[in-house]
Amino acid sequence: MSSVISPRSRRSEAGPDRRSVLAGAAAGLLVATLPARAATDISPERAQLIARITEGALPERGRITLDIPALVENGNSVDTRILVESAMTEADHVRWIHLIAEKNPFPDMARFHLGPRAGRAEVATTLRLSQSQTVTAVAALSGGGFVMADADIVVTLSACIDGG
Amino acid sequence: MDPGFPLRYVRDDSRVCGAIGFALALACFVLQPSPAFADIKSGTEFLSPDMRRQQADETRNPAFFWVEQGRELFSRKPTPDGQACASCHAEPQQSLRGAATHYPQVDAASGKLLNLEGRIEQCRVERQGQPAFGYESPELLAMTAYLGSLSRGLPMDVKTDGAAKPYYEAGRAFFERRQGQLNLSCQQCHDGLVGQKLRGDTISHSAGTGYPAYRLEWNDVGSLHRRLRACSLGVRATQFDYGSPEYLALELFLAGRARGLPVETPGIRR
Amino acid sequence: MSFNARITLPAQARVGEIVEIKVLTRHPMDRGGQSDGKGGTVPRMILNRLTATYAGEPIFRLDMHTGVSANPFVSFTTRAVATGDIVFEWREDGGATYTRTARLTVT
Repeated sequence: MSSVISPRSRRSEAGPDRRSVLAGAAAGLLVATLPARAATDISPERAQLIARITEGALPERGRITLDIPALVENGNSVDTRILVESAMTEADHVRWIHLIAEKNPFPDMARFHLGPRAGRAEVATTLRLSQSQTVTAVAALSGGGFVMADADIVVTLSACIDGG
Repeated sequence: MDPGFPLRYVRDDSRVCGAIGFALALACFVLQPSPAFADIKSGTEFLSPDMRRQQADETRNPAFFWVEQGRELFSRKPTPDGQACASCHAEPQQSLRGAATHYPQVDAASGKLLNLEGRIEQCRVERQGQPAFGYESPELLAMTAYLGSLSRGLPMDVKTDGAAKPYYEAGRAFFERRQGQLNLSCQQCHDGLVGQKLRGDTISHSAGTGYPAYRLEWNDVGSLHRRLRACSLGVRATQFDYGSPEYLALELFLAGRARGLPVETPGIRR
Repeated sequence: MSFNARITLPAQARVGEIVEIKVLTRHPMDRGGQSDGKGGTVPRMILNRLTATYAGEPIFRLDMHTGVSANPFVSFTTRAVATGDIVFEWREDGGATYTRTARLTVT
């Protein structure tokens, strides 16, 4: 832009016009609907949240499916289902499945403890998401390993607000 | 990966966004003609398939807890020597099936407009000699949800003529009147912009046939009047009291407009 | 009536069959921290644990935090072994517990 006047000073002189306010609001809406990043990247913060529960190990991807809507209608109740491919025998089963929401005030959401008697490692619940973010599911296997899956979620109406 | 990508994407599209914003603003000020009442769709039509399934599924719809509570209250004596609702209304599945489709209605004795909540409170005070539950109390919500559920699937069928006519016309006038700091009438959005987006939600016809409903935003079951209060707040207009004449008349107008649509109580809404 | 639960499972199952158990719970799951209007904050009050036993043997446990919704839905599976009671116990912040029982008939 050729103008030497910074946007801030220009605004204070003239005040925002109706169109720029509308455009700004619409742009804000667009930001909210863009995925934060590709799910293949793990931020240092999220890596730390995961390492806390895996004794430092970085889980492998695969064998686990995280079924959660990419576009959430209301963050107060988000249908979530997790399925881990496992024989669920005494020798080879899923010990637990842990759900992390990196940007929730308390990232740990829930941990399902399972055993061979489950027959299948498939659980579901309804989650509360404070904002658009990446949700991570980590499963602990009886052999000592871990697997994980994650999903970028866009929350159009976040949890924890009441517009009336 | 270029960390600036999302920002640049927004900047490049700002002109388009401005145009969308302008079109939306324009749409707000152009009053669309009212659709024929036959075109009115239930709130369910504006839900995602997942939420529709949950609404129909007693194992998923939390509002059925309120229905269950209402069923218990209905058959319980308020005092050991008192009368339960079920003492007069035996076999409510048959005797009160369809009752909710006729509310709001004008009370023959008093000439006042009563909605289902008002009728329940009237029975409780005048026939059972008990203090009123209070609008929006868990008990009144439970009773209303229960009685509404007895008409689930039956078409709405309120009287809008005769003694009801002045109330209906008052409700229509309320619906059509611009209100609040945003200077919007109900009609401008709920007839003119149906199907378009408002924040993360889709604008419906405001049929109101699912209430009392479990609303995700509330994490709770609430009455139609609670929802109307949220609408009033949304356009920054006066919020009338629960059970106020204004909302009762509006409720009758909405119910008349929704004639023929099935009762969906207890619904799930965003 | 701040707590209630609806438990759904098949009326009967064959030995060895894997059955899905669905649990819908009525509870505000209050995450706490909001203003109480008196200068303080509302304390957290959630169900923090759900356990299930089948004929006396533990089969499932769910640890819940504030990231679980109000009036939560939970489902899990178990292998039908013999006719018996499945006992569900919820633990609430503050120590209160709630229990419900469902019977699984195995043929």
